[in-house]
Amino acid sequence: MALAKQEYLALYRTMVTIRQFETLAGELFSAGKIPGFIHLSIGQEASAAGVCACLRKDDYITTTHRGHGHMIAKGADLKRMAAELFGKKTGYCRGKGGSMHIADFSLGILGANGVVAGGLPIGVGAGVSIKMRKTDQVAVCFFGDGAANRGPVHEAMNLASIWKLPVIFVIENNRYASTTPQQYACSVNDLCLRAAGYGMPGTAVDGNSVLDVYAAAAEAVQRARNGEGPALIENKTYRIRGHFEGDPQKYREKFEVDAWEKEKDPIERFDAFLKKKKFLTKKHREEIWNQVNEKLKEAVAFAEESPFPEPEEAIEDLTANP
Amino acid sequence: MALQIRIPKLGLTMLDAVLVRWMVETGQPVILEQSLCVIETDKVTYEVPSPGDGLLLPVIAPGRRMAVGALIGYVAEDDTELAALIKQHGTVDTTREKPVAQSDGVSPPERKAEAGAPRKPAGRIKASPAARRWCKEHGVALGTIPGSGPEGRVILSDVKKVMEEKATETTGSIYEMEKAPEGSDVLAAAEEIPIQGIRKRIFQNMHLSLTRQAQLTLHTEASAHAMTALRRLLNDRMKTDAVPVSYNAVIVKAAARALRDHPRLNASVDGRKIKLWKQIHIGVAMDFGQGLLVPKIRHADRKSIRGISAEIQDVARRIAEKKLLPDELLHGTFTVTNLGAWETDHFTPIVNFPESAILGVGRIVEKPWVRDHAVVAEERMALSLTFDHRVIDGAAAAAFLKTVKDMIEEPGLML
Amino acid sequence: MTSDRMLSCSAALAEALHEEMTRDETVFVLGEDLTAHAGIFGQFKGIPEAFPGRILDTPISESAIAGVGVGSALTGMRPFVDLHFSDFVTCCMDEIANQAAKIRYMSGGQVNVPLVIWCPDGAGLRAAAQHSQSLEAWFVHIPGLKVVVPSEPADVKGLVKSAIRDDDPVMVFQHKKLFAKEGPVPEGEHLIPLGKAAVKRPGKDVTLICYGMAYYLCEEAARCLEEKKIDAEVIDLRTLKPLDMATISESVQKTNRAVIVHEACRTGGFGAELASRIMEDVFDYLDAPVKRVAAKDVPVPFSPPLEDAVLPGVADVIDAVLEAAYR
Repeated sequence: MALAKQEYLALYRTMVTIRQFETLAGELFSAGKIPGFIHLSIGQEASAAGVCACLRKDDYITTTHRGHGHMIAKGADLKRMAAELFGKKTGYCRGKGGSMHIADFSLGILGANGVVAGGLPIGVGAGVSIKMRKTDQVAVCFFGDGAANRGPVHEAMNLASIWKLPVIFVIENNRYASTTPQQYACSVNDLCLRAAGYGMPGTAVDGNSVLDVYAAAAEAVQRARNGEGPALIENKTYRIRGHFEGDPQKYREKFEVDAWEKEKDPIERFDAFLKKKKFLTKKHREEIWNQVNEKLKEAVAFAEESPFPEPEEAIEDLTANP
Repeated sequence: MALQIRIPKLGLTMLDAVLVRWMVETGQPVILEQSLCVIETDKVTYEVPSPGDGLLLPVIAPGRRMAVGALIGYVAEDDTELAALIKQHGTVDTTREKPVAQSDGVSPPERKAEAGAPRKPAGRIKASPAARRWCKEHGVALGTIPGSGPEGRVILSDVKKVMEEKATETTGSIYEMEKAPEGSDVLAAAEEIPIQGIRKRIFQNMHLSLTRQAQLTLHTEASAHAMTALRRLLNDRMKTDAVPVSYNAVIVKAAARALRDHPRLNASVDGRKIKLWKQIHIGVAMDFGQGLLVPKIRHADRKSIRGISAEIQDVARRIAEKKLLPDELLHGTFTVTNLGAWETDHFTPIVNFPESAILGVGRIVEKPWVRDHAVVAEERMALSLTFDHRVIDGAAAAAFLKTVKDMIEEPGLML
Repeated sequence: MTSDRMLSCSAALAEALHEEMTRDETVFVLGEDLTAHAGIFGQFKGIPEAFPGRILDTPISESAIAGVGVGSALTGMRPFVDLHFSDFVTCCMDEIANQAAKIRYMSGGQVNVPLVIWCPDGAGLRAAAQHSQSLEAWFVHIPGLKVVVPSEPADVKGLVKSAIRDDDPVMVFQHKKLFAKEGPVPEGEHLIPLGKAAVKRPGKDVTLICYGMAYYLCEEAARCLEEKKIDAEVIDLRTLKPLDMATISESVQKTNRAVIVHEACRTGGFGAELASRIMEDVFDYLDAPVKRVAAKDVPVPFSPPLEDAVLPGVADVIDAVLEAAYR
């Protein structure tokens, strides 16, 4: 499947933005600027970029505690994201949500979720809403290999299937659920096999190849838009950083991490592809990276200069009316 | 101020008594006359009554033999005073009891406190929040009310009951007359006046005055000649539009001036003390058909007769216009009441409680009098002084009355 | 002028749903076993026929059902979720407590969650522990949720209509035994605002505060207390959160004593919160400690004499009042 050059470059830019945002976030966290904890998706950029590139602004996504990449890929504002991570009142959630609950409903991002698999029933709910309103929107539910074993996943997939909802279930199998290896915790190694149990197509994808991700996602999205129902995609990828920033990572070998980082880096792979196709000159590449870094610098400056919310704001936004 | 509980002298030969037991626990509220403890002499067993209302603090434990007049406890006014007294004197174990009729001086084995009986913290009155609030609003001491709730908790119905009793008390007991048979016209009310407002206050005041004080009245007569001459002089010299000086103004001035020399008549009983007031505020009884009102002329001793007269006229006007301020009716030290307008001579006025004396004034009437062994026609005026004999002795009262008479007969003495 | 007809609570619910679904096409119903018999208590009578495609039978998947409620509420719909029995709410606590209650707040007010969750609850049907609970106190304790407990058919209609129109997540608990209970229900636009209690029987000697099934206990108790010359004021809270403290305060200031009655068990029940609020707001007007009448702290037993011993009755209410009145 061929894309226009602009589309390739857009994918690239998205992945670079995610990579740089996450790296910067990691540095800022270590420097003590970000309260709480953060979960970085370095190494998983292709999954976020590839899937979201198939979506319209009015399509929905639900994401996880590791949701920065999906937010960025769906078009979120970097300033407001940074400000939210810093807990400032100019953040997306006015400082009330933080990294794990960040959301932009105007872009159809129904939120990151602090409860593993929490987004699936909600995403299915969006699917029900789409069907009742008779639009051709779709909903994508991102979740991980750890979440895949939770009850609500079973209920969500079953319901989406019997009601033929326009929901695409995207497992980002990054091999570890916190400290627990996927091979230990899951009844099958290829989680896409579970799709069969729910009467929906299931595909395993090289999650670090953005084009493979894109292809699988595009097909599933089209199916859903056509009213043919849900699908399961398993993007096999790898989590380069720890579960959270500061994770001592005693549960895996450094050589494993190094192998993925050096040999299977999704951005480097795509770099190679673009170079081969002559879609990206060295100069242009540098430009993109510099522009991304500039934008991020602005975003961080904005976050740092922004004020914290006032204490009185703590009791605001609870309900629509008293 | 805490009241002291002492061993009373119950007989001529009584020297001491044994404190047998306390009937009320430390910190519990007690009322006047309530039995506080049992004492025993060689002849009788006696329950010592409370000297007043308040909170009990026993300071002598049962079993002790105390001399007549010895201090055995206090009745504190409130929690604060109780706490202070406890700090000073400590508390005693009131659960002990010396068995009665053990006169050989051997102390009995201590009776242990009942197992499990909670030790009540001293000074805490159990009362519901609503009862507390009621007491605060109505100025009633919580400690004076017996509680009928669990563990002696004072509840609303207890407070209201006491309030009702007090109300009937001060309006002179609710007395219901025996009614005539239904339908008969032997006795029927042409008008019914509720006892409220000013009338209620008068009820209370009169009742309090006569039941609390020991009143008697001294009568004398003064020659009104000098006073009438003075009045004429002042009025002649006045501006034509000014209101003429009244007789009352002269009398008020005389009384005020006399009180300076006889401060004992310018006094009140407050709690356990007789207070001789610094200021002299003379109340002038006025009745314009709205009920008896007694506005005060403040510092009457320092004001001129003309000033006093103008003030009296102004007050009368404002009463008629119903513009009198409530404050003007408060804090008097002496009262003058004049029934001369109705041709009364001598009468026995009732002291305006809580003052201690009142001067009644009769009419100025020309009557025969003996001067220099001859009968002359002279303007005379009756003066009747009722006073509280608890505060003022007879001679002192008579001396004051004489001073007033002298000043009326010789106005120059007022200078 | 609207006339009051006698309707059962289940008919009142059906009427409320019918009216709201006619008025607003984004309102839809989902839950288990709704269409076959129009609900096990007949509470959805006429709805499937009148609104095809807007009343959905689901598999037994509480997480998904509640989650669909949340997700569809976030994306333009106004779902009415029937959880069948309040006891099953435990199967979807995450969706209710962590998602529905918190999304608006966590997003800084970006969205509303106009969700209604309908939970038939209560004991006395010999249905034993897992089908007899009263769990409203759990949800009062979760910031972001509203909690409504109707007792009479008119309340069911008025409160459900208001709950559906409310833009926040509302838990509605109605006692199972009341489905068949009849009462006068006004026709047409009968709305009861959330957060407003009703003084259903004015009185001056004691304030009886109740909701749900306990309302009927209090009404009966008030009649019996009349003979003892105690004039009880009965307040039906109708909404637990937001709470109408103004009505309660006014009443306690008048009567000086409060007795709270609920079928939920005593410890940590809503009565505990209410007693605390009363103590805080009208302390100086209390002539006696606030009393609570509630079920014993055990799971609801099966055997009839056991269940009856556990649940509060009219006699318990009367005893509590007599104690508060020092009789």
